[in-house]
Parts: sequence; structure tokens; C-alpha cells
Amino acid sequence: MAEISEPSNPPLAHSGLSDARLEQPAFDPNTMRKTKPGFKRLILTISVFSSFLLGLPFLWKSVEIYRAPLPFMDIDALSSQLESTPLQFPCSFRVIYVGFDSIAPRVSAEKLKSSILDEITELSSKSSLCGSCNNNYAVSVVIESGSDCSQTRTDASSCTWRCGALSASDFAVSLENGDDSADDFLEVALGGCSRSASGGRGYSVVVMNRDENVEVTIGKYRHAWIVGRISEMEAIPKIAEIFVKLFGNGGREEGLIPGEFMPVGADGKIFLSFNLLNADPDDWIYDWDFQTVDEVLLKPLIKELAPVANVSVESQVLYHTPTSSFSYWDDEQESYIFNTKDLPFFVNSNEWHLDTSIAAGGRSKILHFVIYIPSARECPLLLQLPDGHISETNGFISPMWGGVIVWNPKGCLDRKSKQHHRQMISYPELEKIVEVFLGQFRQLFGLKSDPQHVGLSGTFNILTSEKGFTKWEIDFLSRQHSCFNLHSCASSLGSLSRLVQSLPRMIILDEIGKQVKYSLKAANLAQRNASLGVFDAAAISSRQARSLAEDAFFHPSIMSVSYFSFEHCFAVYSPFFLPVALHVILAALREWKRYKQEHKKYLAFLAKPNQS
Amino acid sequence: MVSFLRLISLLCLPILFAVPAIGSVSEGTEEDFSEDLLLKPLPDRKVLAHFHFQSVAPSSRSNSYGRHHHLFPKAISQLVHKYRIKEMELSFTQGRWHYDRWGGFDSISSSNAKPSGVELWAVFDVPPNEVDASWKNLTHSLSGLFCASINFLESSTSYSAPKWGFRPASENMRYGTLPREAVCTENLTPWLKLLPCRDKSGLSVLMDRPSIYKGFYHSQRLHLLSTEFDSNAVDSAIVLDQTLTVVLQPYSHRGALGYSNAAQLQPSWSLSSIFGRKVPGRCVLARSSNVYIQLDKGLMAELQGMLGEQEMLAVTRSSSEGSTRNLAFELSANPDRVHMEMSSRNDKHLSVLYMFSVAEKYDESEPLDLRFTWKIPVVWSIPQAPLHVTRFVLGSGNERGAIALQLKSTKPSDQLIPNTVITDSCSLLVKVFQVVPWYIKVYYHTLQVFIDDQPHSITNVVEKMQVSPSEDKVSPGVLEMLLKFPCGLKSAALTIEFDKGFLHIDEYPPDAHQGLDIPSAVITFPDFFTSTQFAENNSSKSPILSKWQGQSPILSYTEVLLVPFTTPDFSMPYNVITITCTVLALYFGSLLNVLRRRVGEEERFMKDKAKKKFQVSQLVSKLLAKLRGRHWEPSESQAPSSSSNSKSKLLFKVILVAGLAAAWQYYFG
Repeated sequence: MAEISEPSNPPLAHSGLSDARLEQPAFDPNTMRKTKPGFKRLILTISVFSSFLLGLPFLWKSVEIYRAPLPFMDIDALSSQLESTPLQFPCSFRVIYVGFDSIAPRVSAEKLKSSILDEITELSSKSSLCGSCNNNYAVSVVIESGSDCSQTRTDASSCTWRCGALSASDFAVSLENGDDSADDFLEVALGGCSRSASGGRGYSVVVMNRDENVEVTIGKYRHAWIVGRISEMEAIPKIAEIFVKLFGNGGREEGLIPGEFMPVGADGKIFLSFNLLNADPDDWIYDWDFQTVDEVLLKPLIKELAPVANVSVESQVLYHTPTSSFSYWDDEQESYIFNTKDLPFFVNSNEWHLDTSIAAGGRSKILHFVIYIPSARECPLLLQLPDGHISETNGFISPMWGGVIVWNPKGCLDRKSKQHHRQMISYPELEKIVEVFLGQFRQLFGLKSDPQHVGLSGTFNILTSEKGFTKWEIDFLSRQHSCFNLHSCASSLGSLSRLVQSLPRMIILDEIGKQVKYSLKAANLAQRNASLGVFDAAAISSRQARSLAEDAFFHPSIMSVSYFSFEHCFAVYSPFFLPVALHVILAALREWKRYKQEHKKYLAFLAKPNQS
Repeated sequence: MVSFLRLISLLCLPILFAVPAIGSVSEGTEEDFSEDLLLKPLPDRKVLAHFHFQSVAPSSRSNSYGRHHHLFPKAISQLVHKYRIKEMELSFTQGRWHYDRWGGFDSISSSNAKPSGVELWAVFDVPPNEVDASWKNLTHSLSGLFCASINFLESSTSYSAPKWGFRPASENMRYGTLPREAVCTENLTPWLKLLPCRDKSGLSVLMDRPSIYKGFYHSQRLHLLSTEFDSNAVDSAIVLDQTLTVVLQPYSHRGALGYSNAAQLQPSWSLSSIFGRKVPGRCVLARSSNVYIQLDKGLMAELQGMLGEQEMLAVTRSSSEGSTRNLAFELSANPDRVHMEMSSRNDKHLSVLYMFSVAEKYDESEPLDLRFTWKIPVVWSIPQAPLHVTRFVLGSGNERGAIALQLKSTKPSDQLIPNTVITDSCSLLVKVFQVVPWYIKVYYHTLQVFIDDQPHSITNVVEKMQVSPSEDKVSPGVLEMLLKFPCGLKSAALTIEFDKGFLHIDEYPPDAHQGLDIPSAVITFPDFFTSTQFAENNSSKSPILSKWQGQSPILSYTEVLLVPFTTPDFSMPYNVITITCTVLALYFGSLLNVLRRRVGEEERFMKDKAKKKFQVSQLVSKLLAKLRGRHWEPSESQAPSSSSNSKSKLLFKVILVAGLAAAWQYYFG
């Protein structure tokens, strides 16, 4: 069609054209034309083409899917901030020297403070556990000497020391009454300050000079005391170690259980599921009075752990639950021995239907604690350590799963007659079991249960709390928990933002956007609280941040196949738009080309000198 | 690994409480578990086996254990407390209960004959506006607990709220069925997990999976009754009844003796022949563990007709005399007790229950293997519900149809009518409860009633009727009716017409070509109750016996209907899109081309060409012009006189083509 380049002369004039051609040999219809080329078709095709172009945004709008705007920048900022600058938990430490007036009055409080700080920085540079008070210490030193006292300058974070608040004689008297009473005495004498302290919790070490062997004791609250023949400077390494290793680090060593294995569910809940397993009820049936255990022994623990997690307790008794591996008879021990290397096969997941709990929500953590009563065929059953010794507790833990305690009925070797009526495990026995469980539970949290801590600068006695966790351990746990929660929140949000950005056609509901927003808000609040030293509030808001982030990530609308791909769109629209677009574009191009050509011809005609 | 066995020091814990009193707690506050198995020969040479496990947990308020359980499954108690369930029943069924051959007038058929698939109903103790939310959460929990797709009952199109048609005065009740749910071992295993002994010991050892799933009928049921939230209940508790009912075909040992003889004689059976296993002993946690063999009324009546008075005495007193053999049949073990049914009427033939207690005398080396051997051929009929119910679909095609419900009198003999029937008014009350999915659009005004094949006015028959019409894609239609028939009724039929709705493409179930299901209707006879009283007042509260002694209403489920539906070609949307788009694109393209056509120019061009290629191009241009429907201008070389000639030629050609087309249409069209 492009070849058709004849001028569109009216047909009537055609007959005269042959004459004109003869007269005017210079006029070539292939290169020039007399009339102006028309616009009609060009305008038509261009308008069709442009209306298509105009329609495109509307089409795009109609196939668009709803995506709530997510604050990608803020998410990236949060994770990069957490990576570059780890959480700073401020800890305020105070050292109180009592009864040093006669020995060395010349050592000033300021000097002592600087040397303690040096020691602390040296120790803490080695440990960079998340949740410890790394490099964010406020140390104050008080020298109390009966008549007068000197102290370091107090900064805003720590409270001022009232002279004579701690009298040496009273403390000495309470020491005579035992460590527990000394601890209570210190809590009364010093607690007022740590309570009134703005935000931060004060940890204090009392150094008392007495004419006896040096003894270091860590209390149940936030106090420790060093009593004995010791000079101010000699006490400094011990003080530093108490502050860094115990108060700062919860007494745990690196490599025991990695910090990310915090046995708390994403919604901040722990379900303690206690299971009493009777391996073979045909031999004997044991039962327990768990209601009493729950009310008497576990309630204080649950209350104590409240800042870290919301703990619920449930129990069941199961029957016909053999282990999946076998023990062997040992003549020396007169019992059946279960080896460490067989432990992975102790828990028989086919027969032990411990089950998840219906009461628990989807993202709660369930910790199973199993009290296993062996059958007559393998009773008494003992667990053997790798070094050949017999385990004292007769139990083991599995991180993030729970623990198993083997309980052998008394005199089960001699008892061969079958006893079909139910027997109760006596309360003292139950208490022992709960003690082992508490140890296991602490271990799951990464805390040690030794009554003594062997450090670089000597051995420290650690007082245990009847609630299972001491105050300074809870402090450490909540610091660590908020740190872990924030990291987990940042990684969940980061994954979500990566997922959302990689799937451009995924529907994102407003609810997810809201959850992300609130999660970020809570995370920021947790960071602020942490930097202020309000550990409890930081733990709570960090828990909130994590659970919201998880909610957003596991939102059902994300999980379902609610996004429709670009390929789908292409398959639906291409059968119409591809052929039509071909027509429209080609027509517009051709008309444009033709118009240009014809216009050139016309210009050529005009340029030709008019003969007539 | 070292860390696993790390020594854990014993923390010092003060002994705050003295050792609590240990000892037997008084009856009623203790958790309790008992197991029963009932075996019953059926008239059609099959054997019914019915397992019944009952767990009772005392209220968490009254007992000393609180939320902590010892025998009662933790999952169920958590379920009850979380969703505040008053009563719940869940059944998984495979196969259909034959009411005419397996009985319709006893406790088993009224509570264990269930529609195939899953049936779930629950009564909640929550405010009425929260019932739906509780139901939805419950379906999800149950579906996780029993590895079944019960969560499909979550959508409001699949469940209904019966008012009085399903159970009398049911408030806060929800009812839903999944007729197409397949039932298999993965549903049985979690069900067994709720038993303290699972299938490790006790009667549940008999549940050999291949044998029980090979049967003709298999129904696994879980019934939960809780008075936990009833503030004025004195003795509150959670009672969990788990039953498994199977109908099995025993392998006949006497087949080799002779065909004619074996055909007459009922097959003899034993526990090991029908289950392939024996009972090695009781579950030590069970309070009672009994096996029963029941001979129903019909069989006893038949036996009495065949045997004399003296021989009948041997049948009913076999335990007391120490003999396990009589003229009719032989039992391999001596029953511990024989329960005779007690009746106010002076009937001589009443059902007999032989009880075998699974006590310590059985163990691994000497398991219990009950054997039942027939000696004489017996043919009997089993007690039936007053009406036998069938339901079917009328009509053909994919547009409309009708549901017909046919009730046929089973002609109950005089002794089968219980005292509860009001004899003076002489009428038979029948309650019908029918749930219809929304895509079956039922016209309730088309309800017709036929009595003894004669059309009858509805107002004479329908006593009470409640209809909640279906709402498209929101809720199913529910029809609850109380019908009153004259008692001399031979047969009755109800028909109701419906239109089949159109479903959206993603509302079709998988395998839609099979058709869609209409769930079973429930037919209840409110005047009839089954309740079996036994002559000896048994001290052992066996769950089966206490269930039988209580009154249970007579009801029967109809068949599940399969309605064929118009199913679209599921790839159709894309086909339609493609073909319409192609047509539109063609139209659009040609329109555009026509618009920008230069007719004069083309003609001139053609003329030029014609000059060059004389003959051929002339023909071509002629043809083109003709196709365009315009008059062909002859070239200058032609004589002007040929103009009219070509015109007639064109006409001729047009006629020729039209004629060809007509002929084609005539011969091949």
C-alpha cells in the first residue's frame, strides 16, 4: 500500500491529465503532487492510538491490587541500628567499703572507682553477650567508716548515699545469723536506694574488713558481700568479677546454650506441660497430686518469671509409654544403666503422645517435662554420664523441648508382685522431682544451678532463692530476653519486607501494615526503655514488638495464595491487546510515514517553478 | 551431649506443706474409666461389635485435683473449658446402617447408627451471639485433634442451628455434616489416644485395623456431656463416651460341611475369627471391663418357637447351672452373669445379655477368645422402628428436581409398641429434620404429602413446621417438621421440589462431576423410646448397661442424596477469554483498516497494473471488485457494449453461488 503514491486527483480531471503530462514533462507524479496531503486518516489513526495510550493507566489501575504501604525504610533502619549498635543496658554498681577506717584512710573513693572501672572494662571486653551491661557502667564507691564517710561524685543515674545507712556492727550481727539474714538485712538497708533510683537498678557489693578468712557471697536480691581480711585494692578484682560475670552476665558462660535459644514462644508465653509416664501400668501405677505442686511450688516461680514470660502449667498422666531404646543390667550398680549415647532414643515420640496443648495458642512455647517411671523389666533405671559416673539427678534436658527425669519407685527390684491399685508419689518425693525440674528449667534458660561460682579471682558462694530465680538473674533474663526479642523482631520484619518486595503482586492488607507499624513502635519503645535502664518495661514492649512482627509475618492472607501473578494478567489480556495493539501501531506508523512522504512531494511541487 | 547430663544441684526448697493425706478418695470425686464390648449376631449372617469406653472426670470445682487429670484425656478437658461445651457429639462413619436388617428399635441403632461421613453437633454454654465463633474455633480444634477436615464445617453454609427438629429444645446448638469425608485409621489413632490404655491392653487390643475397616459398617463416635458450667448442678462432671460400632462378616467355619446345611445355619464366630485377635486381659486402669453377647427379642421369640420350655430355660439360665451348651447354640466360656430383660408386659421372649467379665484370669498366655457356635439353623427378624425411611431424588436433567421422603410402615407387632404410645388418639408422630445446602433452592410451598399413595392435605398432617430458608452463599436451608399420621398407616411420602442453583466457579467441590450431596435427613419418632430394664439390678455400673437403661429416642437417618449438577468445563474461562478477544481484535483491526482505506487510489493502481498484465490481472481485479460488492469498471480496452454483458454474468454467478449454498445446506446441513 505504501507503493501507492499517485496523487489523488479527482477522477474527472483524469482525462485531462494525459494532455497535461505531455505539456508539462517536468511534473512527475511519483515525486510530487499538486494538492496538500489530507489529514483525515492520520488524525484518525493517531487519535485511536492516543486513546489507547490514555486508556492504559486506567487498565493498569483496574488490575492493580491493594498493597498497604509498609515502612521499608524504618524496618531497614531498625535492623541496621540493632546490628551496628548493640543494645546498651545501663547498669549502676555501687561498692560500699565498711570498716576500713583503721587500715587505709588515705585511699580515696575516686581512686578506687577508677581502678574498679579499669578492671571492669578489661573483663567485659571479653564478653559481648547480648543482654549484658557491656561498657555502660556507672560505678560509685562509698567508704563508710562509722563516724564519717566519703563517696564519689554521684551522677544523675545513681542515687546519693546517705551516710551511716549501713552500720558495720549491725551488718556483723546479721552475718552471725547466717547468710540469708545478712542478705535480708542488706535488702532493707540498701534496697531503699535501688528502689528510688530512677529507672536503673542498683547492684551493690559490700566489702567488710574483718579478722577472718575472705568469703564472697552473692545474695538473692541485688547485693553481694565480701567479708574478711582484705585490703581495698585486693577486693577490686573480686568486685569487678561479681559485677561483670554475675550481675552483668547472669553467671553464665559463653557456649553453654546460645542466646537465641530462649525457650519463650513468639507470643511471650510458655506452657509447662508436666507428664507422668507409667511405662507399663501392668507392673505398677503411680499417680501424683499435681494440684498441690502447682499451687505450692510452681506459683512463686510463675510470678517471678512474669517480666520474661507468661507461664501456664498443665499436667497429665500417661500409661503404656516404653522408651524406644533399651538399657543394660549392671551388676556393680545393681540397676539398669542407660548410656548417654542412647539418650536421643530415650524419648519415644511414637508412644509418648505428649501432644500439643489445645489451651495454648499457635505460637506459644510448650516445654515438656517428663517424669518417667520405668517398668519392672528395667527398674531401677539409671542414666550414665559419659565419664562413667551415674547422673545424680537422673535426668537430662533437650534444649527448646524440655526435660526428662527418671524416677525409680522405692525398692522396685524386690517387688515382683503386681500392684494394680494406684499409688501416690509422696510429697517429699515430688518436691525432689520439682527441684530437679527447676534445675532443668534454669538450664533451659541458660542459667547454672551450682551453689558456687568458680571465677578467676576465687570462689563465690551463691545463695539460691526458693522461687527458683534470684532477682539479679531475673534482671539478666529480662535484659537478654528483650535483646533477643528485638533481634527476632528485626529479623521477622526484615524477612517480611524482603518477601513483600520480591513479590510485587502480593496483596497486603491494611492489618499487616498496622501490625508492622505498631511492632516498629514497640521496638523503638523497647530500645528507649533499655537505654533508660527500665528492664521490665523493655522486656514487655520488646515481647510485644516480636509478637506483632510474627503476627504480621504469619498473617493468613500472606500464607494463602491470595496474590495473582503477572503471568495471569498477561494471559488474560494478551489475546485482545496484542493483536489490537499491532493494528493500531502499524496503522499509525504507516499513516505518519505516508503523510511525511506526501508532504515532501507537495513541497517538491511547490518548489518547482510554476510554469503556468 | 555433656550439657544434657550436667549435674543439677538440688535447690533448697522449704517444705511448706506436710504430706497430704493419701488414700482412696470417696466415690464421685475420682476419675473413672470403664470399657465394654457388646457382640450381637445379626439376622443377615453378620455380627455387630460395639465397643464402649467411658471416661468420667469430676468437676474441677469440687475435686482436689483441679485442672490436673489422671485418667481423663487432657485434650478433651481443655476443649470443654476453652469453648464452654455443654454437650457435643462427633461421629465418623463409613457405610450405611441397614435399619431393616440390623435393627432400628434399640439403643445402638438410635445412638450409633450415623450418617456416613462426619457428623458434628455441639451445644455451647455461651451467650447466643458468641455461639458461632465458638463453633468455628471448635471445628478447627477438632480437625487438628482428629486429623480430619472438620474445619470445612467452619463456613456458615455448612452448618445450621436446629431449633427443635434434631433434639428437643436445643438452644445454642449447631449441627453440621460432611457426607463425603473418608474415614480411616488416621481418624482412629487420635481417637484411641484419648483412652488411657490406647490399644495397648484391654478390649481395644481387638481393634485390628484391617479387620475393623473391612466391615460393612464402621462408626466411631465421641460423645461429650459436661455439667461443668451448670451452676445449679449438684454433681457436675465431664462424661466422655467413646464408641466404635462395626458390623463384620464372620468367616463361616462350617462352610465345608455341606452347602445346603451351611446356607441355613448361621455362621459361628469367635473373637479371633472376626477380629483376628484375642483379648489378653483387661486394661488395668479400667474400673470394669466386660464383654457382652446379646440375643435380641426377635431371636429369642424365634428360639422359643423352636425349642420347648425346658430348653429355653437352659438358654436363659446357662450361667447358674454351669452349662454353656443348649440345643440352639454353644458358648465357649461360662458367662459370669446373665441379664434378662424385664418388661411390664407379660412377654416371654425378651432379650438376653450374657456378661463375661475380663478379669485377672485371662492373661497373655491364656487370652479370652469367646466363641459362639450355632447348632440349629435360625431365621429371625430384628425389632424395627415404626416406619422405615427412604429418601430419593425425583426428576431428571440439570435444572430442577424433587426430593421424596418415603415412610413405610414396618407393621410393628403388638409387643414392640412400647407403653409410651398414646393408644386412644391413635396417631403416629414423626419429626423430620432436613438441612439443604443453599445451591439446592427448595420451594417450600411445593411440599406434598401422600398417605397410602393418596394425596393428602398438608394442614391435616403437619402439626408444626419451621422453615429457615437458605440464603445464597451464606446459610443452608433448614426444614423442621412435626407430622402426625393416622396409626393405620401403610406408607407415606413427602415430596418437595427444588431448583438447582448456579455455583461460582470456585464454589464447586473437588470432583464436581460426581454431583453434590444433600445431607441425611433425621427422622425422629417422639413417642417412641427404647429403654431396656434388666431383671437383676446390676451393681457394676457398666457404661453399656446404664446407657441401655436410660431412655433413648428412636431415630433414623436417611441416605445421603447425590444430586447431579451442571458442571462447567473448568478451563472454560480462559477459552472464552481467548475466543472473544480474538474476535474483538479481528473486528477492531478490520474496522481500522477500512477507515483508513483510500479507495480511489487503489483502483487507479489496479488499473495501471491491468495495463501491464492484461488477462490475469483483469480477472483478479474483477473478482476483487465483485467481492467488494461494487460494480466492476471495465478497462478501456474493452468494448463499452460489454458492460451489460458483465452485469448479467455477475448476476448469474451470484445465483450460482447461492444455489450451491442452498444445495449444500439441503443435502448436508
